[in-house]
Amino acid sequence: MINKCEKIPDEARMPPRFADACVRCANCMAVCPVSRVTPTFPGPKQAGPGAQRFRLPSEASVDDWITLCTGCKLCDTVCPSGVPISRMNLLAKAKYLREQGRKPRDWVLARSDLYGESASRLATVVNPLMKNTVIRKILDSVLEIDARRELPSYERQTFHRWFRARPVAAGGFTQGRVAYFHGCFVDTNETDVGKAVVALLESQGLEVALPPQNCCGLPRLGIGDFRGAREMGARNIASLLPVVRDGVDVVFSSTSCGMMLRHDYSQILGLAGAEELAEHLFDVSEYLLSLYDDKKITPAFLPVKVKAAYFAPCHLRAMNIGLPALELLGLVPGLDVQSVDADCCGLGGLYGFKKENCAVAEAIGGDLAKAVARIKPDIVITDCEGCRMQIRHLTGLKVVHPVQLLRDSLKPLPVTG
Amino acid sequence: MKRYDLIVIGAGLAGLMAARTAVEMGARVLIAGGGMGALTLFGNTIDVLGRIPPGEDIAEGMSGFIDSFPEHPYARTGWEGVEKALDAFQELFPPPYHFSGVTRGNCLLPTGAGTMRPTFLIPATMASGVGMMPASTLVVGFRGFKDFQAETVSLHLRCRGAVIPFPRYRMGGMTAPAIARLMEDHSFVERLGEEIYQRMEGERFIGLPAFFGLREPVAAMKTLEAATGARVFEISILPPSIPGMRIYNRFHERLLQRGTAFLMGTPVSEAIVKDGRCRGIIVKNAPLGAGYQADRFILATGRFLGGGLWAGIERIVEPLFHVPVAQPSRRGEWFKGRFFDPEAHPVSQAGVETAADLRPLNEKGGIFLENLWAAGSILAHHQSIEEKSREGIDIATGYMAARQALAS
Repeated sequence: MINKCEKIPDEARMPPRFADACVRCANCMAVCPVSRVTPTFPGPKQAGPGAQRFRLPSEASVDDWITLCTGCKLCDTVCPSGVPISRMNLLAKAKYLREQGRKPRDWVLARSDLYGESASRLATVVNPLMKNTVIRKILDSVLEIDARRELPSYERQTFHRWFRARPVAAGGFTQGRVAYFHGCFVDTNETDVGKAVVALLESQGLEVALPPQNCCGLPRLGIGDFRGAREMGARNIASLLPVVRDGVDVVFSSTSCGMMLRHDYSQILGLAGAEELAEHLFDVSEYLLSLYDDKKITPAFLPVKVKAAYFAPCHLRAMNIGLPALELLGLVPGLDVQSVDADCCGLGGLYGFKKENCAVAEAIGGDLAKAVARIKPDIVITDCEGCRMQIRHLTGLKVVHPVQLLRDSLKPLPVTG
Repeated sequence: MKRYDLIVIGAGLAGLMAARTAVEMGARVLIAGGGMGALTLFGNTIDVLGRIPPGEDIAEGMSGFIDSFPEHPYARTGWEGVEKALDAFQELFPPPYHFSGVTRGNCLLPTGAGTMRPTFLIPATMASGVGMMPASTLVVGFRGFKDFQAETVSLHLRCRGAVIPFPRYRMGGMTAPAIARLMEDHSFVERLGEEIYQRMEGERFIGLPAFFGLREPVAAMKTLEAATGARVFEISILPPSIPGMRIYNRFHERLLQRGTAFLMGTPVSEAIVKDGRCRGIIVKNAPLGAGYQADRFILATGRFLGGGLWAGIERIVEPLFHVPVAQPSRRGEWFKGRFFDPEAHPVSQAGVETAADLRPLNEKGGIFLENLWAAGSILAHHQSIEEKSREGIDIATGYMAARQALAS
């Protein structure tokens, strides 16, 4: 399963001509959330194609600012010349971090898949510890995990244990089966999102399966650990490919995990089977909306008197599928939902937890918080767990995944004899 | 598969204007852009036809121009069409940040290159720069901000220039979007105003780089005017253009509000054509391709920069539909002898020829596809850069293409 190019350094796999496709139009500079808040990052034009011309695998990296890229991919989405800017940055970051050495902190954050399950089992002990100021000070000074940022709590029962323990759903699934890739965060930290996905899919006549799965690998890719990311990816492909070959589609509720599975597995990691899998992977809202558009389902929602702000996560935008969740939310009568006029939440997954990035993440997120405040919403809705954490942290508002609101406004099924 | 009334291909000013026009007519619209279009490259003011001398009535100038260039995109829309489209554009920008003409003709605005440039509609933040009087104007630049050189600008405009540090921040290498963000902080703008005031020598006008924030640029301008006692205006700078982003953001915001589906980041890779009609498009985002269907399509993909036209060794092609491209008969005729010729190089006038209703033509002069219209700079026989007609062509043909398409 491991890619054939394993022996070639990853940074050498970027064809140099990609840098020459850049015409310096500066569209990327217009949207980069990082260079907008700090002059220490030169921006995507300079950090990507600009610096790429000077990068040689044989020479040491001088890109001291490269770790400031959050990997949001917004630069890619506005480039008229098709320059893979974020990939250039990712490869440059991988080289830089390999030469400089990654901090123990990076491994601790990126390998939550190793301890998440245990942390959940010990949630009653772990959660208070992570709120303890002394422990946070130690984490801050020893591991450089910023003490100002709240760490997500663990749920006592993981999502997958809940799923296995719940009573087997009765039949009546007229729409067939669908598999669910929940991702780590839903499993150990936000199980209600997973429960909402299951309830929503089942309400529309879909039987939900939970194939074996592990972390998508994006956290490891984010610290430039291609090898580790490939291992994760290969394991997920080995588990999910037989499922889709059986004719069962896979939905995901995390747009970042989804982006990784659907695009990065083949385009960045070059994993075998990734393209075949991608054909059957769908964002959960995208999946439901396409069933609705094809008139296969007719979800009925109760009126909801709520004013909501919807924020489209960066990786949803990078998938370039429009805003399916916003369209689905439009089916809920009475729901006043407005799109938040902001580019990025700034958390960047693990990025914002790192002490050296915290100020940048807060500045980017501060602009988003202001945009949310202008809407004066009762709740905020967004598809990405990172965005939800960040918006909760900065606004104190209730922040949910679209499926949670949709589940809560479902009409109760008529009782049949 | 989702079905739309209209799919607009291209998210530059022409495509945005077409989408906006169609949405206002109640259509279900999808707009698919390969990237963000050229609004952040230009997009400072609305040019209609800069070659009409200031002082001359634009309606008269335009009708004379259309008579002389019957193949020009403006000959398709007519001056009435341009006027209506500009009205629709201006409706998107209610005060305070509105676009208006100063007279019935072109006006001259100072640029970041130190020239006085003719244009037609200007945003409120540039109004005080019209017909700038050098003796009473101070042009201010900022240390570490490379995209606006106050010394050069003031030298060429023969006015006084000053280069000052940004207050509060030590900001070497700041970008225009970064400064625009700071300009939304009232106290920052007040401090900036005080810094400028200290360097004034009785000037009544102050020109600053065009970075007065994205959301409330007029408020920033008013704050600076209160602090300096002078009239303040923005001067266009190198890309990315903040005024261009304001235009893009406004369209984007309004289109989303009206339920327009927005695709961006990967170009339309394929058009599905059958029996003389376009049936759908495929947007490829590797490794996947997604299909979208519609009854009508507008091609607003721009020219070479936006990927609407592609130049091979010998021929120029339109890569998506393979619409015939009007072009010089051979490569040797693409360029004139002098690079800075006042007339456009023939290669720059290449483009798609259309019928009177903006539907592209096939080789025989018939309609290329029943349900395909073209708008913006991809149209043949204009010299938008040299004529200074870029935004006018985009707005007028985008507006007209949408109306024609939906009338069908």
